[in-house]
Amino acid sequence: MTREGAVNAVILALLAAVALAGAAGDRPFLVTLAAKVAILGLAGVGLNIALGFGGLVSFGHAAFFGLGGYVAGILASHAQNYEPVAEWPITIAGTQEMLIIWPAALAACALAAAVIGALSLRTSGIFFIMITLAFAQMLYYFAISWPAYGGEDGLPIYLRNAFPGLDTMDGLQFFALCLAALVLGVGLSWRLRDSRFGLALEAARQNPERVAAVGIRVFRVRLAAFVISAAITGLAGALYADLNRFVSPAMLSWQTSGELIVLVILGGVGRLWGPVAGAGLFVFLEHVLGGVSEYWQALLGLMLLGVVLFARGGLLGLLAGARRHG
Amino acid sequence: MAETVLELAGLSKSFGALRATDGVSLTLRRGEIHALIGPNGAGKSTLIRQITGEIAPDSGTIRFMGRDLTGLDMPARARAGLARSFQVSSVASEFTALQNVVLAVLGASGRVFGFLAPAMADLRLVGPARAHLGRVGLSGREAVRAADLSHGERRRLELAMALALRPKAFLLDEPMAGMGPEGAREMTALLAGLKREAPILLVEHDMDAVFALADRISVLVYGRIIATGTVAEIRADPAVREAYLGEEA
Repeated sequence: MTREGAVNAVILALLAAVALAGAAGDRPFLVTLAAKVAILGLAGVGLNIALGFGGLVSFGHAAFFGLGGYVAGILASHAQNYEPVAEWPITIAGTQEMLIIWPAALAACALAAAVIGALSLRTSGIFFIMITLAFAQMLYYFAISWPAYGGEDGLPIYLRNAFPGLDTMDGLQFFALCLAALVLGVGLSWRLRDSRFGLALEAARQNPERVAAVGIRVFRVRLAAFVISAAITGLAGALYADLNRFVSPAMLSWQTSGELIVLVILGGVGRLWGPVAGAGLFVFLEHVLGGVSEYWQALLGLMLLGVVLFARGGLLGLLAGARRHG
Repeated sequence: MAETVLELAGLSKSFGALRATDGVSLTLRRGEIHALIGPNGAGKSTLIRQITGEIAPDSGTIRFMGRDLTGLDMPARARAGLARSFQVSSVASEFTALQNVVLAVLGASGRVFGFLAPAMADLRLVGPARAHLGRVGLSGREAVRAADLSHGERRRLELAMALALRPKAFLLDEPMAGMGPEGAREMTALLAGLKREAPILLVEHDMDAVFALADRISVLVYGRIIATGTVAEIRADPAVREAYLGEEA
């Protein structure tokens, strides 16, 4: 096993251990934290495809995180109230089945990303950052001002959505579900990175002009990456809504976009397990330092500065060394 | 006369008041190396960039393999068989030499959207890539990051990437730039063999290389072609001697 492989295994084992210890020691709070790490990690894994592999600094991934959350929340609320989501042209009933909610969240986010990406990927650099931010803010204000689904107050989900054969209200079982989704997400991003598409995407990050000169349309490759990235982050959003049994516009806010970028950078940009390490560190700091001082984010800022200045590879770079290609 | 592969007719491009390309017409025929020479700022790179589709000419036409290239973007022209190397080495520097050539093979294959199978385990990509690296003498350097290659090796890597496009014409923008005499000699030998595969439009400052390689030479001064001919004709042309070759001739 390579050193990076060993580090990845430790991260995974640590996460599972925290959840198991929490369940055994009757401290459900720990189980919830572990699930939160898995979900934020999955959201980061999604963002990492655009940001890490493609070099596309999306400052609007909260749009997809929140959209996934609202898909779960809206479908569940209709099911709870026995009201169809739509009656025309076809009747769409609400549902509390994750196996229906997840594809719906994936599809909604992919569609949204296709539209947002098609417009914003025509720009680059600071303009791309600003346009993705603008789209996310549009969704944020829309969610706040649309009273049907709670507006500013958010939308509660009374019972977690259901997964066949599991009791999702049981913290450990829900954690296992999140962990499985995370592992699948990381597995997918690993295959993507090493595929033909991943090679073109990573080359386009380094030298888009060269990629065009060998006959590859950079825009299409980036758009596909943006869509896949958004869909994975959206799935994480749907899980996050279930974790909290609550969706609110905060999931769509620019702070959420920023936090997703922060955890990817903390963990190691472009590293498969980087976002998971980053999410672990982020949640750990939030709860340990957050308990000590409400100004914990100042320290987080300091750490981020340290990573950007001295340890570009993030946590994984420190633990597993520089990334190797080929 | 050999078949014309690339034909520029009346090409013009201005940047503000500067006429960077001024009614340029030239042809590239099968089997030849056509060198484009001229002093700095004569508009050589601007001309190349119009052929590759990076910038659009104000007027004039570019025909390639009998087909009008107007309206085709850079990737489409590359796929049609126009391979170019850049004046300043342009590779994916974090990638290994082999990955860079695999990228070019991938571009030529037109099948970029494979999402699950590992590209570097795909012999349809890696096999040809290895062969192209071998042709430019970089077989032993496959696993070296492009950033860690020497300048001359990077230039040869670019050539391998151009070969991978299985081109119908090469556009080489100063392939010898920055090379020592030894490197320039190797590159000269490489290019002499290359022209049998596809004709080369060669922009080059190294006059030894140009006179050794070129079948025809066009001289570009202030965006205009002032002479086209064989090496002997160009050497003897008084206008060229005055405008450009000066002491060198």
